[in-house]
Formats: sequence, structure tokens, C-alpha cells
Amino acid sequence: MKGYKKYYFNKILWYLLTLVCAVILNFVLPRLMPGDPVASIASQSLAGVTDATQVQKVYAEYAAKFGTDRPMWEQFFIWLGNALHGDLGQSFSQYPREVSDILAKAIPWTLALQLPAIIVGWLLGNILGAIAAYMKGVFDKAVLPLFMFIGSFPAFGMATIMLYIFSLKLKIAPTAGAYGFDLIPTMSWTFVKSVISHYQLPFWSIVLITIGGQGIGMRSMAIYELNADYVKYSRFLGIKDNKIVGYVFRNAMLPQITGLALSLGTMIGGNMVAEMMFSYPGLGMTMLTAVTGQDYPLLSACTLIITIMVLIANLALEIIYGIIDPRVKAQQQD
Amino acid sequence: MGKVMLEVKDLRTKYITRFHEDVYSVDGVSLKIEEGKSLGVAGESGCGKSTLALSLMGYYFAPLHYMSGDIIVDGKTISGMDPDDVRKHILGNEIAYIPQAAMNAMNPTMKIIRFIEDVMAAHQIDMSKKDIYDMAKERFAILGLPEEVLDRHAVELSGGMKQRTVIAISTILSPKVLIADEPSSALDVTSQKMVIKMMREMMEKGFIRSMIFITHELPLLYNVTDDIMVMYAGRIVERGTAKEMVFDPMHPYSHGLMGSIIVPESGTREQKLTAIPGTPPNLKNPPKGCRFAPRCKYATPECSYVDPLMKDFDAGRQYACLKSIEELREVYAREQ
Repeated sequence: MKGYKKYYFNKILWYLLTLVCAVILNFVLPRLMPGDPVASIASQSLAGVTDATQVQKVYAEYAAKFGTDRPMWEQFFIWLGNALHGDLGQSFSQYPREVSDILAKAIPWTLALQLPAIIVGWLLGNILGAIAAYMKGVFDKAVLPLFMFIGSFPAFGMATIMLYIFSLKLKIAPTAGAYGFDLIPTMSWTFVKSVISHYQLPFWSIVLITIGGQGIGMRSMAIYELNADYVKYSRFLGIKDNKIVGYVFRNAMLPQITGLALSLGTMIGGNMVAEMMFSYPGLGMTMLTAVTGQDYPLLSACTLIITIMVLIANLALEIIYGIIDPRVKAQQQD
Repeated sequence: MGKVMLEVKDLRTKYITRFHEDVYSVDGVSLKIEEGKSLGVAGESGCGKSTLALSLMGYYFAPLHYMSGDIIVDGKTISGMDPDDVRKHILGNEIAYIPQAAMNAMNPTMKIIRFIEDVMAAHQIDMSKKDIYDMAKERFAILGLPEEVLDRHAVELSGGMKQRTVIAISTILSPKVLIADEPSSALDVTSQKMVIKMMREMMEKGFIRSMIFITHELPLLYNVTDDIMVMYAGRIVERGTAKEMVFDPMHPYSHGLMGSIIVPESGTREQKLTAIPGTPPNLKNPPKGCRFAPRCKYATPECSYVDPLMKDFDAGRQYACLKSIEELREVYAREQ
């Protein structure tokens, strides 16, 4: 067990180092964008004021408030200190809202949309791949290739096609948002119904894109495992075919878990495009407004969340593999 | 004469390839093994040895297909039985198989004991997990395998240990016939010796009652089995006791085969090693007549269209060649 602990200790050290690098980049890169967002906030509150000294004074006040008058390294440590206390600062573009408040509104939408969509897409893809490998025939020759074709669409292309067919032509789904623009979020039946109907297009566009890629991976792994020596040996020991198929698919699933964990880690950033196309009020949309509004604090906070999600997903993956795959465990113990 | 454990009559099986071609890899094999005896099958690679092992199980799956012939295990004809009955009642408890590549024979993500539990469940043996564990532990102990192996995964075992574990699992239901397809070919000499010792012990303790041992290593067969059968292009060309086959092979193919190896016994030191020219024929279109004729240096025009049948000679020996024993003895004597 000693080797095992050492392995994880080393891993966690590396993850922490990665986190530090990523946090620095997340902080610095947005601030290298040209332009001065503080000036635009200041100008909003100065509408109609023409006195130059007055303007100068107000601008200096805002700059001091946001800390943009200090050198960047100093800003970084102030931001880091605040972030460690859970204070991510105030948004520039939606001033004076707190960044944490904006994120708290956006994250549930993203999680509710992407988590089920990715898991459903992953499950359907794996089932389809397994069926294609085991039953062959029409699944292997037609259904899987069709989903591969669909899966090779870029997210925005898929979203556009779905919007065109279901919203514009068939008029069975709304075009944008997460609920009717005339509704206030409550637990009423009209609101829930509206949420569900707004949910369909973004959800299925992610699912459809995910199926093909996962399916083809599962298919080739399953074919490889079906031809493994242990399949033949197990058959000659009299073990039932459906039990052997169980062995095969369990083993074939193992590499697929990597795909799931990685897409869960990157789900917030990765499927940003789907959220934008459907104007879904999730983290993707928030990031888009942060970028266009040069909103450093909001942008840094979004990227920080993505970074942490990816690292947690990877670490969780590493631990899960150690538990479910004895071959990996043996390696980790060395 | 002991009780006949396995009798095979004119067994024919074929492979159907991806391109829908038939390959007749076991083409009319007959054999018989008595209780307590072991039979070695020797031959070049590609001669159908491994396919014979698979065909004898009576349980066929693509690309191998059964064509005709009978397989009789201890008086019970298993060829033509319902595949699910074969699986439930024959595989493992009547006929057991040891694969060529024991390295990958076990599911890598399963503990050995879970695998044994599945084998038990597949034969509808109603035992608690604890009883299965105790039974397996006892069997492993008799065969000289440590108990810890049961709680290990296959990847954690060494090559020799894996092979011995596979043998122990294959024979856990004490089958009547054990078919071992090159069980030692991937092992070093020490592990090989342990495997051979283990198989002998199993025979002595009655865990198996007869054995077919397939290998390309003839010296090994000489030390392990009672009888040796030589196979060529999907057919048996000669059968005799191990000693006769090594020191007095009759069929020109067995003669050539034995001439190409060294048996570590006195009297073989002066022997000059020879090789058989050519390669075995493609079994998609097997040659007419004697299949060895194109490579045989004693072949006559007749050999290329007359199919030689298995003939008895001496006490219980058989061979398949158009030439008589006297003729063959004479040509071999002239050569030396």
C-alpha cells in the first residue's frame, strides 16, 4: 500500500502545480486584451459631465476600486487572496453585480443541460457501439455510420440545423433561452413546462453529436475484446455466452471511461457553442458576455472553474481506474 | 485393454473464411484413447493440430464448423448434441481444454476465484461461495499452487504460474478427457517441467482420466505421452507408441520429422539432422491422392492420385502410405 499512497501523493502534487500555472494564466491572459473596461464603466456614471478634472477624479476612483491602477503582479495577489476567501470580485460588464452571484445563477443551467446530455450521449454511444460489434449487420453498416456522420457536424452547425427544422419549419420548439422570456422563475407548472420545451433542442444537439464518437470507440474496443483469448477459453469452460459478453463489455468500457471523464471535465467550456446558439443562460453564455465586455473578473472566474473541473475529473479518473482495473492498479503500485 | 475414454470416428471440420472459402483443416481423423493413457499429437505448424484440439471439444463456433463424424466420450456420443447441452454437461466435466496461449486465457479484470465461481455456475453446480473457495483451495494445494493465487488477478501472476492456474481451472471438474494444446510452448524449461509434472500428477490422482497433448516439440512428447500420433495436412499419417514413433517411424513424413529433431537418449547421438523440404499444402484445395506426395522423396506417380488409407501393422500400429512396411524399411536402410 505504500507505493500506492506515494503514487497518489506525487499525482496530487503535479495537479497542484498545474493548478498554479493555470490560475496565473487565467489571470494574466484576459488582462492582456487591449482596451480599458474601467473607462467604460466610469463613462457610464459620468454621463453628461464635461469637467475634465471631475472625469479624471471619477476615473481614478474606479481604477482604485478595481485595483487596475496597481502593477499586475500586485493585482494578482490581491485577487488570489480574495479568491481564496470566496470573493471573486465585481463584474465589469454587469457592474455592480458580484461575480459569484452571476456564476451561481449560470452554473445550475449548465449542469442541468450538459451533465445529463453528456451522460445520455455517452451511454447511447456505448450501447450502439457494443451492439454494432456484437450483432453487426444493420447496426454496424448503417446506424453507427449515420451517427458518425451526425457526430462530425460542428456544434454550431448541428444547432443551426435543429433550429431551422424544429423551430422555424415545424415550429414545435422555441428558438432561444431556457424558459419563456415572459416568465419569472417559479415552481409553477407553466414555468416547468416552458423549461422542458426549451431544454429539448440544446439537449438533443449535444447528445446527437456525442453518440457517434463514443460509439466508434466502443465498437473497436469491443471487437478487440471479443477476439481475445479469454473469450475462447471461457467458452470451452462451458461459461454461458451472455456471461462472456458481460466480461467483454466490462473490459471494453474501461477505456471509454476516460472519454466520459474528460468530456465531463470540459463540459462547461467544451459545449459553449451549443449554449450560445440557443442563448441558454449557462456558463458558456456568461463567458461569451465576459469576453465581449472585457470583463476580467468574470472571465478569470469562469476559466478558474473550468480548470478546477478538468483537474478534478482527471484525478477522479485516476482513482477510479485504480479501483476498477487491476492492471492499472498494479502499475500504480510500482 | 482399459475402458475407452474418447473415441473419434472420421471427424471432419472446416473453417469458413471471411471470403466464404472452405478450409478443410481436420479431414477424416479417427482416434481412440483408453483410460489412464495419454496421446501426443505432433506435426508441423499449420498441419491442423490446434484445429483438431478445437474440433474434439464438440462445441463449435465461427469460423470453425462441424461437418461429419462422431465424437464419443466414455460411451456418450457428443457430436450432434444440442450446443447448450454440450456447454452445460460436456465442456469442463467430460472434456476440458487447455489453450495454447495461457498468457491471455483469463479475463484480466477478474479475480481467479470469481472466474472459478462462474465456471461452477455455468454447470449448474449449486455451491456456496465459501464451499467453492474451499474446494478450489484444496485442489490448488494438491497441485502445488499457493492459495493466494485465488485472490489474485491474472495479470499479477507469472507466466508459468498463469499456465498452471489455467490447467487447475480447466480440470477443476475432473474431466474424463483433457485436451492440452501446446500447454508449454511459451514457457522456459523449468516452468515446462513443472507443467509436465503437474499433468502427470493429475493423471495419477484421477483428476483427469486421459489426455491428448498437442505439441510441435517431439522430444517433449516422448517423455510425456504413451502414444504419439503424427498429423499432416489435416489427417493422421501414423500412430504408435512413443518409443516406436521416435526410434522406428514408418511413414515417410514421420520419418522425416523424427530425422529433424534430437531426442536426448543414448543411441541418438550419431544421428544426422535432416529437414523436410517444402511446406504443408494449402487446405483450401488439398492435393489429390497422398497429401504428402509433393514433398515425399519416395513418391511414385501412383501417390498423386491414390488416397492411402490407414493400415494396421505390428501390434496396434497404424500408418497411411501406399508403400508396404518392407519397402519402406528397405529404402530407409539403404539411406543410412
